[in-house]
Amino acid sequence: MFALRTNGLTKTFRVKRKQPGLAGSFRSLLKPAWEEKEAVRGIDLSVAHGETVAFLGPNGAGKSTTIKMLTGILHPTSGDAEVLGIVPWKDRNRLAFRIGAVFGQKSQLWYHLPPMDTFDLISRVYEMRRSDYLARRDDLIDRFELGPYLHTPVRKLSLGERMRCEIAASMLHRPQLLFLDEPTIGLDPVVKARIRDLIRERNRSEGTTVFLTSHDAGDVESLCSRAVVIHHGGVLLDEPVEKVKREVLSRKTVKLTLSESNGAARLPPIAGTRIVRAEGRRYQLSVDLKRTAIDEVLGQLIGRFGLEDVTVEDPDLEEIIKHIYGMKKETGEAG
Amino acid sequence: MSTGAECASGSLREDERRTGLGHSAGAALRFLLTCWKVNLASAMEYRLSFVLLAGMMFLNNFIWLFFWHLFFERFPAVQGWELRDVMMLWGISAGGFGWASVLFGNFHRIASIVSSGQLDVYLAQPKPVLLNVLASRMSVTAAGDFVFGVVIYFLAGDLSLRGAMLFVLGLLIAGLLFMAVMVAAGSAAFFVGNSEGLSQQLFNIFLALTTYPSGIFRGFAKLMLFTIVPAGFISYMPIGLLRDFDPAFAAGAIGMTLLFGAAGIGLFRAGLRRYASGNALAMRS
Repeated sequence: MFALRTNGLTKTFRVKRKQPGLAGSFRSLLKPAWEEKEAVRGIDLSVAHGETVAFLGPNGAGKSTTIKMLTGILHPTSGDAEVLGIVPWKDRNRLAFRIGAVFGQKSQLWYHLPPMDTFDLISRVYEMRRSDYLARRDDLIDRFELGPYLHTPVRKLSLGERMRCEIAASMLHRPQLLFLDEPTIGLDPVVKARIRDLIRERNRSEGTTVFLTSHDAGDVESLCSRAVVIHHGGVLLDEPVEKVKREVLSRKTVKLTLSESNGAARLPPIAGTRIVRAEGRRYQLSVDLKRTAIDEVLGQLIGRFGLEDVTVEDPDLEEIIKHIYGMKKETGEAG
Repeated sequence: MSTGAECASGSLREDERRTGLGHSAGAALRFLLTCWKVNLASAMEYRLSFVLLAGMMFLNNFIWLFFWHLFFERFPAVQGWELRDVMMLWGISAGGFGWASVLFGNFHRIASIVSSGQLDVYLAQPKPVLLNVLASRMSVTAAGDFVFGVVIYFLAGDLSLRGAMLFVLGLLIAGLLFMAVMVAAGSAAFFVGNSEGLSQQLFNIFLALTTYPSGIFRGFAKLMLFTIVPAGFISYMPIGLLRDFDPAFAAGAIGMTLLFGAAGIGLFRAGLRRYASGNALAMRS
């Protein structure tokens, strides 16, 4: 059974093309030039019930446009899609009762009111029985630890607190499928981890299917069992996250600052490690985890140098996608 | 641990509860009542601003009436219109605009909402999109307009039961016509892109024309007033509805409201197919 399935899903926007400057604006006013921009190009995809899928891609790859078509917000130019057995743009209302959506940049919470008031409104939007709503609300408040902010106007909440309320609001009506568009954007690592825990817990306890877009490789690693990477509007890779981790997410970025006592010391070559950037005492290293463990690298550095600061990060998602794109190109050329 | 199947069976029960016209109307009413409650709570978050804005609009309307009072002191009647009629004209226009803006405060912001891609949140919810958009905002200043309309009725209106019923009918038609015209005009944004300025201009013209006695217009201007920009159906109400009830005028006003209402709803629904969304940050306030 599929939670969602798409076949050749395509969305084209008509975009005005304007030359730069004031003269360009006048020319555009008198003789506008238009071009067709293919935001999503024939996406074929299927997601099973209960799966957690990361839908990844660089900016402009078509992630948000795809989610908007799958939630019935946008009508596709061509292709088909079924979400929970419903064609989203034909029966948006019926589908909306069964799915939840969080758009990181578009809030459904009332800015000047406490989250509790929005929760009440949402219970009416989804026509929940009063007793059912109250029990569900209290459960989510408990699990998301929202008690301290429930009666504080949303404008006075931190971004992390707001996102927790936002996700709880999207889960009030027990959606079978949850679309999360950049749910951890702008959050600090501690809050990100908390939000990932909460989403994972809902997936396990209620079997909620999760379809997530993110620019954060950490979201993918800790939340999702499958990664779908799109680029230029089409699917570039569709693999289990474990495999992607093994083959693609096998690098970590180490940023370090040597302490002043090291004088003009230069880092020697370390097996499986490449110096990406060196500025004075600051270095950025790329560590290949297939060849060396991160603790070995750190052990060598700490044993030989005084360190003022060190951080270990996942590589930037843009870098990962470039890497996948390069791999695919090589495979294609070899084939 | 509950399973997806259990969730699905929960949804089925929900589906069963949602059948029937009676239930749909009841659910829509409960939703609207909660929307209005939330809007009012949001507006009252800033108590002083709430009172000042509503109060200033009330005063602003009275200042206009004061000018009309000066005018009618020199010319007691203009094309059969007296000060009392102009007062009722302002009462109907401000009162109708007031209730529409308090309960459905987004009606003149449709173009801006569409062109800035702010429909996403409404489209993701299982409610009629237009109703959801309209009821999601309350205009605080318009509360002053509504109170002004009611006060004017008590000062210059016919206080009999018949008079009160006709005044309520007038307010109802005026408010609905304001909404119908602006929804139709705002929905142009789906088809011509950023029509926010155009829609706002039309709104200002329409609003202004509802505050001048329709008797002062002749020929083509009068034709426009009762067709393309149907402000005449509001501005003639003090005569055709309240003073000398004219069934033909009343039927025309109701018919025109229904016509623009149907056109607005039709254009909005057709426009949703062309909606292009956007990436602007959006908060509901």
